Order: sequence, then C-alpha cells, then structure tokens
Amino acid sequence: MSSQLTAAHSPDLPEISREELLRRLKDSSLTILDVLPQASYVEAHIPRAINIPLEQIQTRARELLPDFAAEIAVYCGQFT
Amino acid sequence: MLHELGYTNLRVYQGGIADWLESGSPTESVTDTSPPEPEPNPDPRATVPIGPPLGAAPDGVVGRGPARLSRMGRLDKSVLDLVQQRSTLQLFMIWIGTILLSGTCFWLGALIGEHGLVEGGNPVGADFKGFVSALYFSFVTATSIGYGDIVPIGAGRVIAVIEAITALLIFGAVVAKFVSHRQEELVSEIHRVTFEERLDRVQTNLHMVLSELLSITAMCETHAPLNRITTRLESAIILFLGESRTTRDLLYQPRLMVEEGVLAAILATLASTMNVLAELLEQMPPEFSRTQTLTITLGRLTGLAQEICGECVPHTYTPRLIFWMDRIQATALRIK
Repeated sequence: MSSQLTAAHSPDLPEISREELLRRLKDSSLTILDVLPQASYVEAHIPRAINIPLEQIQTRARELLPDFAAEIAVYCGQFT
Repeated sequence: MLHELGYTNLRVYQGGIADWLESGSPTESVTDTSPPEPEPNPDPRATVPIGPPLGAAPDGVVGRGPARLSRMGRLDKSVLDLVQQRSTLQLFMIWIGTILLSGTCFWLGALIGEHGLVEGGNPVGADFKGFVSALYFSFVTATSIGYGDIVPIGAGRVIAVIEAITALLIFGAVVAKFVSHRQEELVSEIHRVTFEERLDRVQTNLHMVLSELLSITAMCETHAPLNRITTRLESAIILFLGESRTTRDLLYQPRLMVEEGVLAAILATLASTMNVLAELLEQMPPEFSRTQTLTITLGRLTGLAQEICGECVPHTYTPRLIFWMDRIQATALRIK
C-alpha cells in the first residue's frame, strides 16, 4: 500500500493544510478527491469529497474531473 | 500519478483521513446501499450538461494557475455565482429595489432635517410630494439619465454616487442574463442535434461493418485471394474499433440522456458484429496469418470491449442493456 501511495504523490506537489481544507469546505472552487478504496470512502470521508480509488484513477479521472486546471485537494490514508 | 494525467493545480493533504478523523473534523459517510456517487455539488453549474453557461465566470481566466486565483479572482467568481443563481426577474426586482431604497433614503434624510436634494433652489420636503420627487430623482440617477432638474447636495451626493454605481452594475447583470439565457438554449439545442446525428452514424457504421464482415466470410468460403481478404478485414475492423470506442465513451460519459431503445439497438448491433467477427476469425483458412495492423487493432478492440460490461460501466443501466454489454465482453474474449 505505501509504495502505491508514494506513486500517487510526487514530493514536489504543494500541500494543503487541514485548517485550509476546513475553511474551504464550502468553497466550490476547491475539489476534494479521496483516492482511498471505496469501502473506506463509504465509512467516512471529508464532506463533499469525490471518490476515485487509486487503481481506477487512470480510467475514471477524466470523466469525474473534467477540468484540468481546477484546484484539487488529494488525500489518502496517511502520507508517511 | 494525477499530475501525469494533466492536472496542473493539485494539492496534497498529507495528513489524510487519519489526521482528519483525529482532529474531530466533520465527515460524511454513505449510508444507503446504492454505489457511492460523487457528493451533490452545491454549485448549480455542475449539473449543466454542456460546459459552463455563456454568462458564467470566465473560468479559463480565473483558474488558469494558482497565481491567478487571487483574492480578487475568488471575489469575482463568488459575485458571478451569485448572479448565476438568480433569475432574470429576480435580478430586475433587485434593481427596482435598489432604486426604491435609495429614494426612501433621500426622503428619510429630508424627514430628519438633513436635506439631500434640491429642486430649483428649494430643498425637497419630507411630505408625500417630496417622496415622489425623491423616487423620481432616484430613477433618473439609476438609469444614468441625470436630467439635473433635481440635484443632490451634501450626504445626498454620497448616496447618489453609490446608487448610480450599484444600479448600473445590477442592470448590466439583468441584460447579460437575459441575453445569455437565449444563447444557452441555442447552444444546447445545437449539441442535441449533432449528438443525435452522431448516434445515427454509429448505428449506420456498425451495420456497414456487419455486412462487410459477412461478405468477407463469403469470400473465405469461395477461397478468394488471402491478401484481398486481409485488406478488407483490416479496414472493417479499424472502423469497428472507432465505433466501439464511441459506444464505450457513450456509456462512460453520458453527456446527454440517450433513449434506452437507441442505446440497446447500438449495443445489440455491436454484440452481433463482435460475434460475426469472432466466428470469421475462427474459420479463417489455416494459411492466414494476422498482420501487424490486424493484431494491434484486434488487441485494442478486445481491451475496449472489456470495459463494456454491466459492472464496470460507472452508471447503472437496466438489465436489458447489461445483457448486451456482458455479451459483448464475453464475445470479445473469443477474439485473441
């Protein structure tokens, strides 16, 4: 799992803090993306987040996130 | 991974869901049994099927990069979103409201002895006639006519300037809304027509591929030259691949509602074409060998067909459609 997570993140990607996420929960210009498996998403996710499990990103990302320039906050389990 | 797909404005929440839960921040969970759909977006534009409406925020400009998403950009966007959510009539009522409010302000000014308006050298009074005059002045100012028969003084000037700016902006929004509404209708109509034409073409092309495959089968039976068979097979399969891709996209990104009957017809033709193709490849003469083009195209075709199945398609369809999808998937496995 952790090797998959590393593959999902590139070290040079900018971070977003929890405070900013909380503040912008209602801001529709920020898309929140949950890349955890569906089971985890069903159990709990950040409000308004959309779920694309990591293995489906290649096939479904374009369909669910049509705007390449949109600001997207990505999260998974815990980045170590 | 995501940025390799072309997303440019990604941010990573390093803490992840573990940190989020630990902090006691609000979460949502899916309680019903239906497959988790993306959360309903509060932004009504998200449900508009075709791109952002013409009157919408110039997203391309605002969202081009992190540097452009300044505070001003967000303000622009929120104001435009606000306008977006109001109907033309509502905006017009807001405009009228602004004028009435300003008129009342002038009159109230006169009521407390702070005269803001002067008509022919005499201050406008606080009686009913004065109220009508204040409203009249308010309209003349808001419409940017400014006859000058009544002029503001003192604090009245401040109100007049603010009123002129606000009313002008709101009126601009009313006009823009009115015009863009008609254009949106036209654009969606054009999309609908071209989309229907495209659907027709998919069906026609699939039928063409089907009859071509049948005639190739006949050629095989009469032992026609192998190179001619191969050439015709190649072109037929390339066309088939293109139409299969369109059908796949249709199932994955239904931009407009397709009638179930139309979709069923397309899928049924696709299934039977796939079946004829599989049979044809099975009864090819032993000396037939697949060319490189043929191998690549067939490989793509099977790959594509694996994505057409009742379970992998992201949207739920009726059992009737799923039957065809599964059949396409099963038949494609025979082409190897």
